[in-house]
Amino acid sequence: MGVGLLLGVLLVLLALVSRPSHFQNGWVLDHAEIQALESQTQTRLTPKVVALPHVWDAEAQPLHGSLRYRLPWPADTRSLNAANGVHEGLALLITRVGARFQVRLDGHIIHSAYWDTPGYVDTGVVPHWIPLPSDLDLSVPHVLDVEVQGVPLRKSGLGVVTVAQASEVLERYERIYWWQVYLTWMVAACSGMLGLLSGLIWWVGRERLFACMSVASFAWMVRLALTSVVHPQFPFEVWFFFHKLSFTVYCGFLYLFLWELFRLQQHKARALVWWLLWISPLWIALILWTGNYDAYRIWTGLFAVISVGSLGLMMHRAQWGLDPNQRLMVVVSLVTLITGVRDFLVVQFGVLGDADLRWMTPGSLVFMLTLSLVLVQRMSRYVAQIRKLNSDLTIKVQDRERELLVAFEQIKEAEKQKTLIGERARLTRDMHDGLGSQLVQTLNAVRSGVQVPMPHIEQMLGHALEELRMTLDSMELMEGDLPTILGTLRRRISPALDAAGVELLWAVDDVPPLLDAQGKPLEAKAVMQIFRCLQEVFANVIKHAHASSVQVETRHRAEGVVLSITDNGQGMRRVQREGGRGLDNIRLRAQSIAARVEWLSVGSGTQVKFVFAQHAGHAAQPVSASGSEQIDSGKDTT
Amino acid sequence: MNTKLYLIEDDLSILAFLKQALELRTDWELIGHSSTCEDAQNYAALHQADVYLIDLGLPDGRGEDLIRLLRRTNPHAELLVFTVFGEESRLMEALESGATGYVLKGCTGQELVSAIEQILSGGAPISALLARMMLKKFQPMTKQVQTVHAQAETDRGDVLSDREMDVLKLVAQGYLNKEIAGKLGISLHTVGSHVKNLYLKLSVHTKVQVVRAAQERGLV
Repeated sequence: MGVGLLLGVLLVLLALVSRPSHFQNGWVLDHAEIQALESQTQTRLTPKVVALPHVWDAEAQPLHGSLRYRLPWPADTRSLNAANGVHEGLALLITRVGARFQVRLDGHIIHSAYWDTPGYVDTGVVPHWIPLPSDLDLSVPHVLDVEVQGVPLRKSGLGVVTVAQASEVLERYERIYWWQVYLTWMVAACSGMLGLLSGLIWWVGRERLFACMSVASFAWMVRLALTSVVHPQFPFEVWFFFHKLSFTVYCGFLYLFLWELFRLQQHKARALVWWLLWISPLWIALILWTGNYDAYRIWTGLFAVISVGSLGLMMHRAQWGLDPNQRLMVVVSLVTLITGVRDFLVVQFGVLGDADLRWMTPGSLVFMLTLSLVLVQRMSRYVAQIRKLNSDLTIKVQDRERELLVAFEQIKEAEKQKTLIGERARLTRDMHDGLGSQLVQTLNAVRSGVQVPMPHIEQMLGHALEELRMTLDSMELMEGDLPTILGTLRRRISPALDAAGVELLWAVDDVPPLLDAQGKPLEAKAVMQIFRCLQEVFANVIKHAHASSVQVETRHRAEGVVLSITDNGQGMRRVQREGGRGLDNIRLRAQSIAARVEWLSVGSGTQVKFVFAQHAGHAAQPVSASGSEQIDSGKDTT
Repeated sequence: MNTKLYLIEDDLSILAFLKQALELRTDWELIGHSSTCEDAQNYAALHQADVYLIDLGLPDGRGEDLIRLLRRTNPHAELLVFTVFGEESRLMEALESGATGYVLKGCTGQELVSAIEQILSGGAPISALLARMMLKKFQPMTKQVQTVHAQAETDRGDVLSDREMDVLKLVAQGYLNKEIAGKLGISLHTVGSHVKNLYLKLSVHTKVQVVRAAQERGLV
């Protein structure tokens, strides 16, 4: 309601400003006799009296070239002179004249505007204040001529001419100039700012709405900037093309913006707008090419029709009265439309008013400011919603975090329990197989009634203790470090090898850590498997190989980490025959830790080669058996 | 001069075993025995023994605390951990507290005597896993040797020399002292000295780490 009232005030203000002038001591010259200038070419124009404003493009046969308007000298200027003795001087106010013009008084040029300036000029875009000589004798009539050079399609011609006291005319001229020129530049600057802001918001949010607003604002800025320039530094065709195209783009994108704003799905109307946007450049080029002013009128008329139609559709679709913003936009659009229609009628049909005091300029400013207001409200609403969402989300995330933490702790505890149970089972198994059986053997030996020598019992108990120590060793954190694993085992096996007279040759070098199938360093269970494998291998060396030395060697090869135990005994086949089951155990244990094992004949002895894949999920590739004989340990070939 | 030994152990069979083992060295003397932490705290330090054999699992406290105490009161004494299993992670803590070696229970009397002799002659036992743990412990510090503070760190005695590092690496790879001596061209005795020195540095290093951590937290 308040906005409607404000807009009403604006319209009244515009009407007052645009109202034809009434001067206390002045005359409005609203007709003139036109005649082609002798020095210029003009198609057979018979001198005639025309009403002002006179628009060349509005003639049945559009005029071009140069014309002279002979204005009737007011009859009673004599009284002005007589009454005051010395008058303060008269001046002319011409609201529209162009494209170029000069004023002659009694045949003498008293004012010239770009008459001989080359290039495109249009003096019609600004009002003109032309003082008459101060010593002019008002008691006699004078001959007042306005000579005009026209430009097709620019509504060349002459508006009403006011003759009045210079000070009164100046005041009126300044007011019109402010509304027509300064305001235009201000609105252009506002549009530029609005375009920039909308563009930035679009850049951040990628919301199409703001892109439409930005394009429309920039187009309107271009349009207004071009409107107030008297002497652009480029050809008329370029000026005309962009002046009209910018208006098309402004209108088109403004409609698109409004539909986006109200989320209206008017496919046909949208299609029409897009069609206009695409066809306009061609249409404008056609107008330029033909110079047909009617084509230009059709084009502007089309926009007026589309504006009215769009507004009607919007009012219909927006269900008038539901949304305050929609109401506001419709009211403002309506007022803007009124300004546009008023300009169309005044400019094209000479309806009462100062033809070049465009209402649409301030109208568009109000319209755009209203749009900004709506956008700000919309953004504020979004920001408030986002804040609330963020707040809700934070609470939800905190709740979820707490839940996850609890769940995580439960899972961790369950995992821990599972690991503990697994480890307990493994330890039980190991102790059963190792320590348990060793103790049982010792106990049975003691209970058997047979006299068991003390050193034998001591040895058996020592083995039991070593078994227990090996189980505990496997639980130390070795991080898959094979040399350390081997070094730890060495403590356990060295006494047995020494006792058997087998020399242990140690050729262990640093190799990358051994990894399990998940790519993690080997855990205690796997370390124990290696211990068991090697225990079995060394047991075979001691019991079956009859070797005098055994070499332990580690290498890092492309296929992985290689561990080899090579003896100089009597060969593999003998070992197989005597320890076949042990070999299967070794293979099974190696498989369980993603390692591969091979038995090779090297010289007279045997080499057991373990290959540990280095990457998670990769089984060890077969080892080349070059220079040695590979033995199928799975079969007893003897 | 007789070597004086003191046993801190709650298992009386170990006391008997020690007494029997000492028959092999009549010049050595068992001057005292504590079966609890409390008793050891009260009397062990007073006895001024040359070698303390300390069980880590006492009924009323931790052997590591006793080691720390004895290291302070008897800085020149050899503090040997007497353990059943030789669990390296626990031994490590004992060494950091100031122990100079360890002996496994279950060894023969001769082995026990040899271990003590090794300690007294400047050597020390070490396992591959223990060496690996020490390497891990020292490595971050060793990397700083390149820095301008290197000299100061070395002087303070908690940074390994290149030779000590070589010894430690070879031990971690499972090599025996005599093999290491052969590889590095040094005497067996020197290898043992290096290992013992490593234990001392481990203790110093740990103290430095503790002070540094306290400084970082603004506690000192």
